[in-house]
Amino acid sequence: MSDAIPAVRLTDLHKRYGDFTAVDGVSLDVRTGEFLTFLGSSGSGKTTTLNLIAGFDEPTGGQILLNGAAVTGLPPQRRNIGMVFQRYTLFPHMSVAENVAFPLSVRKLPKAEIGTRVDKALRLVQLERFAARRPSQLSGGQQQRVALARALVYEPQLLLMDEPLGALDKKLREEIQHEIRKLHHRLGVTILYVTHDQEEALRMSDRIAVFEHGRIVQVGTGEDLYHRPATAFVAGFIGNSNFLCGQVAERRGDTAVIALPGGGALSVADASIGGAGTAVRIMIRPEEIELAPDRGDQARAAIPITVRERIFLGDAVTYEVTTADGQNLSIRHGQAQANRFPLEAGASAFARIAPERCVAYTAT
Amino acid sequence: MILTRSKLGLFRYVLYGHAALVMAFLLLPIVFIALLSFGSSRWLAFPPPEWTLKWYRELASDPRWADSFWLSLRLALCVTILSVLLGGAAAFALTRRRFRGRRLLKAFFVSPMIVPVVIVAIALYSFSLKLGLNGTFVGFIAGHLIIAVPFSVICIGNSLRAFDIALEQAAAICGAGRLQILRRVTVPCIAPGVMAAAIFSFLASWDEVVISVFMASPQLQTLPVRMWTSLRMDLSPVIAAVSTLLVLASMLLMVVLGLAFMRRNPK
Repeated sequence: MSDAIPAVRLTDLHKRYGDFTAVDGVSLDVRTGEFLTFLGSSGSGKTTTLNLIAGFDEPTGGQILLNGAAVTGLPPQRRNIGMVFQRYTLFPHMSVAENVAFPLSVRKLPKAEIGTRVDKALRLVQLERFAARRPSQLSGGQQQRVALARALVYEPQLLLMDEPLGALDKKLREEIQHEIRKLHHRLGVTILYVTHDQEEALRMSDRIAVFEHGRIVQVGTGEDLYHRPATAFVAGFIGNSNFLCGQVAERRGDTAVIALPGGGALSVADASIGGAGTAVRIMIRPEEIELAPDRGDQARAAIPITVRERIFLGDAVTYEVTTADGQNLSIRHGQAQANRFPLEAGASAFARIAPERCVAYTAT
Repeated sequence: MILTRSKLGLFRYVLYGHAALVMAFLLLPIVFIALLSFGSSRWLAFPPPEWTLKWYRELASDPRWADSFWLSLRLALCVTILSVLLGGAAAFALTRRRFRGRRLLKAFFVSPMIVPVVIVAIALYSFSLKLGLNGTFVGFIAGHLIIAVPFSVICIGNSLRAFDIALEQAAAICGAGRLQILRRVTVPCIAPGVMAAAIFSFLASWDEVVISVFMASPQLQTLPVRMWTSLRMDLSPVIAAVSTLLVLASMLLMVVLGLAFMRRNPK
C-alpha cells in the first residue's frame, strides 16, 4: 500500500437511530481515483454510510476524512462532493442546461464560463441536443445522465452514486454502466457506488466492500471476493455457490482434512478453522466441480453423485446433482466439457473437486 | 368508460338538461344583478323600464366607495403576504418536523375554518377592544389573518408533502446553501401551492364581512362592509353597479391566472 492520503477514510464509523444501529463500526480507505462499490442487501447500512459521507446525516461515532481533512459537522454544500441519487432528482422547474448549470451558478462563476462548462458536461453524457428540454420530457436513462453531468460539472473530488440505475431496465442499465465506467477512466474521479446488484458491482468496480448488518464483512477486488470469500455470506452474495457440510477429521499444520458425509475427504489449507470434530461448510463454485465417470487421481476429492436435472443454457450446461447423503450441488460445465461426458437425469457419476478451489467455513 | 357519449342514448339529453339547469342556477343571479345595474328603476324593478349608466356615475362620484375599495385592496394584499409567510412557515414545521402534538397543532391551525365566524368575530371584538385595536387597520389585518392562514397552511402543506426532499439534498450537495435551496429549488417547486394559498388568502380577506362588521369604524369600512350597510340603509341600484364591477374584477383575475398557468405548463 502506498502512503498517499486516501480520498476517503472512514474510521470506526457508527450511526444509531434509537435502538437500531444502521452503521456499526465501518472502517475503510478509498484510494484516490478508485471505483469502490458498497454492495449489500437493503438495510445493510450501505446507503446510510454514503449519506454520512455526503453529510446528509451526522455519524453518532467515528470519523470521516476526505483527502485527509475531517468533514464531521461540515454541511453537504461545503464538502465538494458530487452525487447521483436513486430517484431522479433533477429540478423540475429548470431546463436540462439550467440543471447542469446549477452547481456552477451557486458558486457564482462568470456566465461565460458556466456556458462552456455546461456544454462540455452535456457532451460528456451525449445530451447536448437536449439542453433546452425540461426533465419531464426526458426518459429515465436520459434523466440520470443529466444528473451525472450535474454531479460532474463542478469537478468534485469525490462522486457518490446511490443505486443510480435501480429504476432502469436491464439493457439501459448495462449501457449506462458502460458509460459510467468510461467516464471514470477518462476523468479519474474517485467514485463510491452503492448497489445491491452483485453483477453490477463486479462489472464496474476496482474494489467491492460487502456490507452486512451495518458492517463491512470484506473488501477486495471482484476476484478476491469470488475466489476467496471471507465468510459464507460473501460467498453466497457474490456469484453462485455450493455449500457442502462436513467435519474436520484431522489437522496437519495449516491443513485441515475434512471428511465428507458420503465418504471421501478434502484437504483444505486454512488455519482459521478448528481442530478435529469441528463442523464445517465447504464452498465450491459451480464451475469448479468436474463430473467424471470415475474417481480419477488422488489430488482431487471425488464424491459419488446422482444427476437430478440437466439444464441446457446455450453456452453451458448446468447439472443439479445429489450426493449419497442427500446434499444438493449445482455444477456448471462449458459446452465442450459437457459434450465430452454427456449425462442425463438419473445417471450416476463422480463429482471431482480440487481442494485448492474450496473455501471452508466453521459452520454456525 | 361509463360515460361514453354514444352509449348513453337518449339519456344524454337528460344529462345536458341537468347541466344547463345547474349552470343557470349558479349564473342567473349574477346576470340578473348585472342587468339591474344598468336599469333606470330606483327600486330595482325587473325588467328595467329603461337603460342607464346613472348608477355607475353615482358610484364614481361618491368617494366613500373608492375609499372602501382601496382599503379592501390594501388590506387583502397585506393579509395575503402575511398569510403566505406565516402559514408557509407553519406548513414547513408541520410537514418537515416530527414532534409531540404535531397533529393537534395542525388541527389548531385549521380550526378557524370550523369554528363559526361569528364566534371568532365576537371573541376578537371583545379582545381587541381591550387592546384598542378596534377600527384600526392593524385590527382588520389581525382579524382577516385568522380566516386566511388556514388556507395557506393547507395549500402550502399539501405541496410540501408532494415535494421530494431528495431535491433539497441534491441542491445541497451541488453546493447550494440553505437560503439558495429555499429560493431556487423549494419555493419554485411548491409555487403552485403558494399561489393557491395567496389567492385563497386574498379572497378570504376581500369578501370577509362578519369580522369586518365588528371591526369597522365610520372611517374604516371595507368594501363588503360598505355594501352591507348600503343594503340596510338605502337599497340603491348603486349596490348592483358595485357588484357587477366586483364580478368583472373576479373574472379578470381568473383569466390572468389561467393565462399564467398555461404559460407555466404548456399543453
